[in-house]
Amino acid sequence: MKRILVLLALLAGAAGAGAQSWPSKPVRLICPYPGGPVDISSRVIAQKLQEALGQPVVVELKPGAGGVIAADYVAKSAPDGYTLLMGAIATHAINPALMPSLPYDPIRDFRHVALVVQVPNVLIVNTDLPAKNVRELVAYAKSRPGKLDFGSGSTGSTGHLAGELFKQMTGTFMVHIPYKASAPAVLDLISGRLHLMFDNLASSLPNIKAGKVRALAVTTRMRTDFVPELPTLDESGLKGFDMTTWWGVMAPAKTGNDIVARLSGEILRALDSADTKERLRTMGSETPSVRSPEAFTAFIESEKALYAKLVKVSGAKPD
Amino acid sequence: MKIKSPKDFWAGLMFIAFGLFFLVVARNYQMGSAVRMGPAYFPSVLGGIMAVLGAIIVFQSMIFAGPPIPKLSFKPLFFISLALVLFGYLLKPLGFILALAVLIFVCAFGGHEFRAKEVAMLTVVLIIFSVLVFVKGLTLPFPLWPEKFS
Amino acid sequence: MDMSIFSNLALGFGVALTPINLLYCLIGVLLGTLIGVLPGIGPVATIAMLLPVTFSLSPITALIMLAGIYYGAQYGGSTSAILVNLPGESSSVVTCLDGYQMARQGRAGVALATAAIGSFFAGCVATLIVAMFAPPLAEVALKFGPSEYFSLMVLGLVAAVVLAHGSVLKAIAMVILGLLLGLVGTDVNSGVLRFAFGISELADGIGFVVVAMGLFGIAEIITNLELKDEREVFTNKVTNMWPTREDWKRMWKPILRGTFLGSALGILPGGGALLASFGAYTLEKKVSKYGHEFGKGAIEGVAAPEAANNAGAQTSFIPLLTLGIPSNAVMALMIGAMMIQGIAPGPQVMTEKPQLFWGMIASMWVGNLMLIVLNLPMIGLWIKLLTVPYRILFPSILVFMAIGVYSLSNNPFDVLLMMLFGLLGYIFTKLECEGAPLLLGFILGPLMEENLRRAMLLSRGDPIVFFTKPISAGFLIASIILLIILLLPNIRKKREEAFVEA
Repeated sequence: MKRILVLLALLAGAAGAGAQSWPSKPVRLICPYPGGPVDISSRVIAQKLQEALGQPVVVELKPGAGGVIAADYVAKSAPDGYTLLMGAIATHAINPALMPSLPYDPIRDFRHVALVVQVPNVLIVNTDLPAKNVRELVAYAKSRPGKLDFGSGSTGSTGHLAGELFKQMTGTFMVHIPYKASAPAVLDLISGRLHLMFDNLASSLPNIKAGKVRALAVTTRMRTDFVPELPTLDESGLKGFDMTTWWGVMAPAKTGNDIVARLSGEILRALDSADTKERLRTMGSETPSVRSPEAFTAFIESEKALYAKLVKVSGAKPD
Repeated sequence: MKIKSPKDFWAGLMFIAFGLFFLVVARNYQMGSAVRMGPAYFPSVLGGIMAVLGAIIVFQSMIFAGPPIPKLSFKPLFFISLALVLFGYLLKPLGFILALAVLIFVCAFGGHEFRAKEVAMLTVVLIIFSVLVFVKGLTLPFPLWPEKFS
Repeated sequence: MDMSIFSNLALGFGVALTPINLLYCLIGVLLGTLIGVLPGIGPVATIAMLLPVTFSLSPITALIMLAGIYYGAQYGGSTSAILVNLPGESSSVVTCLDGYQMARQGRAGVALATAAIGSFFAGCVATLIVAMFAPPLAEVALKFGPSEYFSLMVLGLVAAVVLAHGSVLKAIAMVILGLLLGLVGTDVNSGVLRFAFGISELADGIGFVVVAMGLFGIAEIITNLELKDEREVFTNKVTNMWPTREDWKRMWKPILRGTFLGSALGILPGGGALLASFGAYTLEKKVSKYGHEFGKGAIEGVAAPEAANNAGAQTSFIPLLTLGIPSNAVMALMIGAMMIQGIAPGPQVMTEKPQLFWGMIASMWVGNLMLIVLNLPMIGLWIKLLTVPYRILFPSILVFMAIGVYSLSNNPFDVLLMMLFGLLGYIFTKLECEGAPLLLGFILGPLMEENLRRAMLLSRGDPIVFFTKPISAGFLIASIILLIILLLPNIRKKREEAFVEA
């Protein structure tokens, strides 16, 4: 029944579009981060869109400058629905706070089509550390000011900012050790050269399960159903702590409503399909809570405000 | 002082120039301390070492004799460079096929002899091959023709 | 070590030898060879592109194919390095040095065969090493922290000087120039943009492929075109295609040493595998009695680095399979591919999914066998390529280079940059400054600075850590010894010259 309704809605949408025959040629989905989970999920979504739209959807890599090159490129592309962006927390929430002269406006220069992936971060510590929960960790850190080291995948990453926020909320002093990616930092955490780090849940889950690192809390407001027994930072005494890594499909600002609606509908349908759900889930993504273009824009606005505040209090800046 | 080894003399000067360049530009960044090395620390040290090495090489070039610098040939240099730049910046506006044709024709002028018929045939063969392998096979996202006509 | 290794390998071969897995292994290595031969198109882009294709496959089949692309590309990379001096990957830079010289002397066939044989042998040994010692070797990776990596990089830099056969001083200056060029882009620690001059394309630094193809490929083409007669480019007489008895005698020891050095370095996720081929070349040049022939077409200079590079490519799977830690961009993508198939890479893969783990290891050996069977007959074809007149050959090389470099980030800027490095490389050849030390410095520069600063941060500014940690101290002592060995003959020579003049 539901499927018929969707079909009817689609038919109505198609009729509404009328003369519009989008898409009549291949659609390009620009991905700013080659090789990583953003790239992989872009291809998952592109394949689904291709089936639904009947035109090739090609993932095109445009790496550089923390995603700024790709985002700027799409912001200045023709708003005809043939150039899309896999925008992310870095391009649309963190960079605006970190970089004083961003060439694009993350809100006004885009139509925010659909949120695709939301990944919780997790606080993990070296197994030799005596702290078994967040309270003990805070006490331990307080007794050794300036002695503990926390790693992160890069300066200005969610892992770094989460650490800075943690320091600020608990009144502890720890040293930030930046890495080029989070994998080498995890290696140094396992071997005891680092004491703690905030890492994305999916990549640390195997090491947590194998007992190579100890997880103390998740950074999201709600517990995650991947590890339901793991408490949140919010309930561990850091009231209001809420951070998630996310990315989703966006289009240039003047893209037509019918195209945005069609895309958003198809992406949501893909996200709800069993196989895509399963694929994104193994990458640590929970099914996104944001389910319309308007809600996505509102979500980005609130994230942008959050990181503007966070970057300010943490003092994190590219010098 | 006479230059006895021109190759070393100019190489040394080049190293001095590169060293000073990095040294001067690095002044825009923070030096930091040994504990918290700033972004300027490493390049400044390296730039300094390189400038000194360059000076030693220049000095040596006045003592030890070496062969002269062979003549530069500007014809291939010019056409190869031009061909590459044209290809890069024409690919988006003209499309893959025309940009390739430009690349092949221009660089062929840099060769020993330019045989128009042969170059034309080579162009056709290379374009067919490249379209099949790169665009059809490896699905690189290149437009084949100019935007307007596709 | 127990006997279960045999039952495990039997299990693995049972998986790897099923028709479907054999087919996809073949597709993987074929495709890998193709993209390896084409400069600029790397395994990262190809694997990412093929991910959707693997959705419909079973996890083990998908991983076998993707792994095949990776080590197939290593094979293919040496082909274009030997034939036309085009290093598509960091590992094939060293192969250019002697491999291309062999080709110029009409010995391209021998060089290609040597590369294939060396790679195959190394692949076999390294596969066995992965099968037998993966878990204990993973512990080695854990022993390497910032200070150990820094000291390893220092040793690598000293070794870089050996890559050149001319003036030591100029080689050192070129290494430093490489280090500095490697620093262009966003600083890891502070996030500051360095030496980018407002060009956003430089924010992520200069691409390795861009520098390598400019300095080697473009400069070589321009140099060839200035010869009076184009027939001077390649000697038309091809002496022999297959290694002679003398060649075999000269290559087996370098292959053995390269295999072990490469296997050891491949385990280190922090850039160890990058050093494999460079390290093996340096080692051979120092221990071989044909050291003076290096850079002029010495067969050892092809055999050792090719073996090391392939061994390193195999053992770099160790941190991935045992710790879930990727040692390079390809491995990171493999993790993604595993996740998409519902497998979380990490220590538990071996116990929970023995079929997948051992099947993949067995397939590496199968893939290596396929590669040598495919590649040896291809040699005849490749050599034919060199008999094509250079006026036809060079535009074709340029076309592949330009497409490959453009595809790196779909941006004309990389092509422009490659052209500039080509000009620079041309000037370097005129001034007798060699490109290989620069490239090694370029690879090591960012790694070295990163680890130095990280080590200093962790030790709160105490440089003594580099000497109190045994592994780190060992590398530093080795660097000092190597430096003395390098400088001694130089000093002796200078003194002899002085005496003669006196």
